[in-house]
Amino acid sequence: MIKLTQIKKSFGRNEVLKGIDLTVKKGEVVAILGPSGSGKTTLLRCINYLEKPSDGQITIDEFTVNYKRPDKKDIHTLRQKSAMVFQQYNLFKHKTALENVMEGLLIVKKLPKEKAREMSVELLDKVGLGNKLDAYPSELSGGQQQRVGIARALALNPEVILFDEPTSALDPELVGEVLGVIRKIAKEGITMIIVTHEMSFAQDVANHVVFMDGGVIVEEGKPSEIFNNPKEERTKQFFKRITPDGVYSI
Amino acid sequence: MGEPFDISYVFEYLVKLLPTLKITLLIVVSSIVIGLGVGFIVALPQLYKIPILRRFSQVYLSFFRGTPILIQLFLFYYGLPEILKLVNLDVAKVPALYFVILTYALHSGAYMAEMIRAAVGAVDRGQVEAAYSVGMNGFQAFTRIVLPQAMAIAIPVFANLVIANLKDTSLAFSLGIMEMTGKSQTLAVMSRHFVETYISLAIIYFVISFGLEKLFHLLERKLLKHERRITTEVKEQQVKLGKTKRSLLGFGYSRGGRENEA
Ligand SMILES: Nc1ncnc2c1ncn2[C@@H]1O[C@H](COP(=O)(O)OP(=O)(O)OP(=O)(O)O)[C@@H](O)[C@H]1O
Ligand SMILES: [Mg+2]
Repeated sequence: MIKLTQIKKSFGRNEVLKGIDLTVKKGEVVAILGPSGSGKTTLLRCINYLEKPSDGQITIDEFTVNYKRPDKKDIHTLRQKSAMVFQQYNLFKHKTALENVMEGLLIVKKLPKEKAREMSVELLDKVGLGNKLDAYPSELSGGQQQRVGIARALALNPEVILFDEPTSALDPELVGEVLGVIRKIAKEGITMIIVTHEMSFAQDVANHVVFMDGGVIVEEGKPSEIFNNPKEERTKQFFKRITPDGVYSI
Repeated sequence: MGEPFDISYVFEYLVKLLPTLKITLLIVVSSIVIGLGVGFIVALPQLYKIPILRRFSQVYLSFFRGTPILIQLFLFYYGLPEILKLVNLDVAKVPALYFVILTYALHSGAYMAEMIRAAVGAVDRGQVEAAYSVGMNGFQAFTRIVLPQAMAIAIPVFANLVIANLKDTSLAFSLGIMEMTGKSQTLAVMSRHFVETYISLAIIYFVISFGLEKLFHLLERKLLKHERRITTEVKEQQVKLGKTKRSLLGFGYSRGGRENEA
C-alpha cells in the first residue's frame, strides 16, 4: 500500500502541489489525468524523490518517510521501492538493452552477474524484446526503447511503478505496443501509477482514476464514475475540452 | 646567414634531437596527468554550482586562458620563489623543470576543466535521473552512467589539448630547459645549419602529433561503440547506394567504400 499525506511542492514562489492526499492499494492501477501544468509530473517525481517535496509524508509498504527531514538512507530506500518509466525513456545510451535492465540488479541489488542476466533476459522476453538483447538504444525505435524502460523498472521488483506519459513521445503507430505491455503487467498485479492522456487506455486499465488541476486532486474514483459521471465542474470541463462533443469513444 | 643547405644534416640532427624527446614527453605526460586532476577540481564547483568556490574557479580559468603561456612560465619561475620567500620557503635549489611542469599543469588544467564541464553537461540529465530511479547513489550514477559517456564526448577535445600541450612545451627552452626545442636551438647556433635543425625538429613534433591523433581517434571509436553501429549501418547503405549508382552510371568510384577503409 502507498499512502501520500499532504504532499506539497513549490518552485520558488510557485506552489505546484498544494497538499496531495492519495492512497493506492496493493495491485491497484491508478491513472492520473489533468490539464497541462496541473502538477502530475511533479507528483510522480516527488514520490521517487527526483524532486524534493517541501512538505508531506509518504508510506510505501509500511516504510514511512517524512519529507520535511529525510535522511540519505530514507531516500535510497524510497527509490528502491519505486521505479520510474520516463516520457523520454531515458535509457543509458552507452549500454545495450540487456545491460540497461541488468544495471540496477548488478549495482544496486548486487546480484551475481549470471543471475542478473537470466532475470533480465526473461524480462526483455516479456516485453517482446527477446531478440534485441544486444541492441543499443540508438538502434531501437521509440516503442522498443520504452519497452526496455519498462523492463528496467520491472527488474527492480518495486512496490510501485510510476509512468509519466509513457507513450506521449511516440509515433502513433508505436503507442499500441507499449500500452499492450503495460496492460499485460497490470494484469500481474503490480501496483502502478500512470499519468496519461490516453483516455480510453486509462478507462480500461485503471482501477482508480484521479483528476488533478492546479496542484490539487479535484476528484477521484472508479473509472466509470469519473469518465461517465464526473461531479466537479472542472472535471466536466476538462473532458469537454478533450472531446468537444462530450462523447468519449472507447 | 647560416651554412649552405645540406639535407644530410636533417638526419644527423634527428638522431641528436631524439634523446631530448624524453624531457619533452616528461613535461607533457606529467602536466597532462596533473592537469586532469586540477581540471576536475576546478570543474566541480561549476558542475555543482557551489556558490563561492565557483567564483574562484572562474578567476582561475580567466587567468590561465587569458594570458600567454610564456608569461605564465616567467611568472611562476621568477615570481613564485619570491612569494615563497615571504613564508620562509627557499625554493632556489628546485630545478626549473618542476616550475615548468607546474605551469603547464595549471595551464592545461584550465582547459581540462572547460572540457570536463562541457562533456559532463552534454550527457543528458534524464539518464542521471533514471540512474537515481533504479536506486543508484550520486557516485554510482556519475561513475557508471555519466563518466563513460562524457569521456567519449571529451576525447576529441582532449586530443587537441594534448597536442597543443606538446607544442607549447617548446617554450620551456626560454627557462633554459634542454627539451627538444632547447636542444635544437643550441645545435643550430653551433653548427649554423638553422634550416636543417628546424626541419628535423618539425618532423619529430609532427610525427608525434600525428601518432597521437590516430591513437585518440581509435580510442574515440572504441568508446563510442554505442553510436558507431548506427554510422556503420548508414555507411553500409551508402556502399549499397554507391554500388547501384556505379552500376547505373557506369563509373567505378564508390564514396562509401572509401569511407569504410578510412
Ligand atoms: N524544475 C522546475 N522549476 C520550476 N518550475 C517547474 C519545474 N518543474 C515544473 N515546474 C512548474 O510546475 C508546474 C507543474 O508542472 P508539471 O510538469 O508537474 O505539470 P504536468 O501536470 O505534468 O503537465 P503536463 O501535462 O504538461 O506534463 C508547471 O507550472 C511548471 O511550470
Ligand atoms: Mg508532465
